[in-house]
Amino acid sequence: MPEKNASEKFDLSIDLAGLKLKNPLITASGTCGNGKELDNYFDINKLGAFTLKGITVSPRKGNKSPRIAETPSGIINSIGLENPGIDQFIKKTIPEIAEYRLPFFCNISGYSEAEFLELAEKLCGRKEIAGVEVNLSCPNIEGGGLAFGTDPKTVYSITKKVRKIYDKLLIVKLTPNITDITEIAEAAESGGADCVSMINTISAMKIDIDKQKPLLGSLTGGLSGPAIRPAAVKMVYDTFKKINIPIIGIGGIRNGRDVIEFMLAGASAAGIGTINMIEADAALRIIGEIKDYLKKHNIKRLSSLIGKAHI
Amino acid sequence: MFEILKNKEVGPDIFYLVLKCDELSEQPKPGQFFNVKISRKLSTDPLLRRPFSVFDFDEDQNILELVYRKVGRGTEILSKYKAGEKLDVIGPLGNPFSTEKRSGLIHLVGGGMGIVPLHYLARTLEKGEKKVFLGAENSDELEFFTKRFKKMNVEIHRAAMTEKMEIKGSVLVLWMNYLDQEKPLFVYTCGPEKMLSAVEKECLKSSIQGQLSIERRMGCGIGVCLSCSCETTEGNKRSCVDGPVFTLGEVVLNA
Repeated sequence: MPEKNASEKFDLSIDLAGLKLKNPLITASGTCGNGKELDNYFDINKLGAFTLKGITVSPRKGNKSPRIAETPSGIINSIGLENPGIDQFIKKTIPEIAEYRLPFFCNISGYSEAEFLELAEKLCGRKEIAGVEVNLSCPNIEGGGLAFGTDPKTVYSITKKVRKIYDKLLIVKLTPNITDITEIAEAAESGGADCVSMINTISAMKIDIDKQKPLLGSLTGGLSGPAIRPAAVKMVYDTFKKINIPIIGIGGIRNGRDVIEFMLAGASAAGIGTINMIEADAALRIIGEIKDYLKKHNIKRLSSLIGKAHI
Repeated sequence: MFEILKNKEVGPDIFYLVLKCDELSEQPKPGQFFNVKISRKLSTDPLLRRPFSVFDFDEDQNILELVYRKVGRGTEILSKYKAGEKLDVIGPLGNPFSTEKRSGLIHLVGGGMGIVPLHYLARTLEKGEKKVFLGAENSDELEFFTKRFKKMNVEIHRAAMTEKMEIKGSVLVLWMNYLDQEKPLFVYTCGPEKMLSAVEKECLKSSIQGQLSIERRMGCGIGVCLSCSCETTEGNKRSCVDGPVFTLGEVVLNA
């Protein structure tokens, strides 16, 4: 039945600043390990792209336990960037991901400008890595301890310097813990970012009322999951009006309809995070649900929806 | 989806959940756990799965037995499920107890819900002399466990904090009374971290080998989120995939 087949052909591909993804689903850093853990549950090659667990210059043990608290439709985490450090990452993780056939993004975090540059330099020219995602949510130790991502000038400066060193896809991940996220997005664009990913987790805490103490070992953490989705959608919507580079929408996505919502708000691609922790192979279901939506609305090309909710 | 065959209270807030499994990738081993999605299909309450260790498994009929305590919102919702309903369950997960044949006395020391994995372990271990030490707040909490351990060839010793069983007090004290008189070849333990730490200290002092199963607040259960990381002699390890079973002396415990 050629007619039926033709009507079920949908183009889910996305152009992310020149990098073509077969579909818009990208794992969000820190919720999906480094590939092989999720690959036990489904063929990760079916994802649009994969963002690896955040890496710092030096190895980090992470925060005190408990590191996770459940809240209504969400979780607060304070993992504290536990990772083996860039050198071990290059030695061990990069050869492991080489066997897969999809773009990998490396999420990098620094505690000073110099650290961001060192990370970018070490990843430059690595054919296994399609891009870096600059995580600006760490405290700027030399700059008074506030997160890098809260000051447009700092964001511009780091982005510009990383841009000079790093020639492949440069993503800047935006923190929502700021008055106006669009200013930061504009700073990243001016600095030469290829795209922005948003949002990172929302600063939050939970208090154990029986112990009468904060529940998390590090007292506070970052909220993710369906609870933050409406806030994230609004920030993507606002940011889309201000910048011309693509947006990777992240925040509580758990089904195909959520992806569509982010795309209508202005996202070109969708980061899936917390859902991976509950349903390891959620991406496959979500891809199916996106197709169902396109079929229902008789839309051939998914990318035609980007920003369509803007009046 | 696993079908619920039974979900009934067998002690104060202690529930016995029996599930008919779908096809499993492998047969569960003692010390492993299953991660249960408690929210119904489209609900996000609670969001995360809940890990429960295997109480028993019937390989002929593919029937899984879990025991849990109603402690919070997740287990409260779970306790309301009825026989005939279905649950989204993944597993078996985690690193199991070693069950290699040992010719010598084995001690199993369990506190509270830490008794659960020791039951399947005791049933799986080859024949040989085994003593199980069970501790809880009161005798009601131990009733169901006692009944089940009595079906096996093990010597049972019990302690309760609020009433006299073999002793009134901690299972640790009870166990140490026996440790004064005999030296087991291997010790398995599971329970509150303070208890694990004390058991470990005694074993290491007397050069007794053993394993413990640790409980750290988990996120994913499959090794991606690092919520349940614990410090070990070989750097950080994930209690969900590298554990929950570790060799005595391996993990830095919160005493």
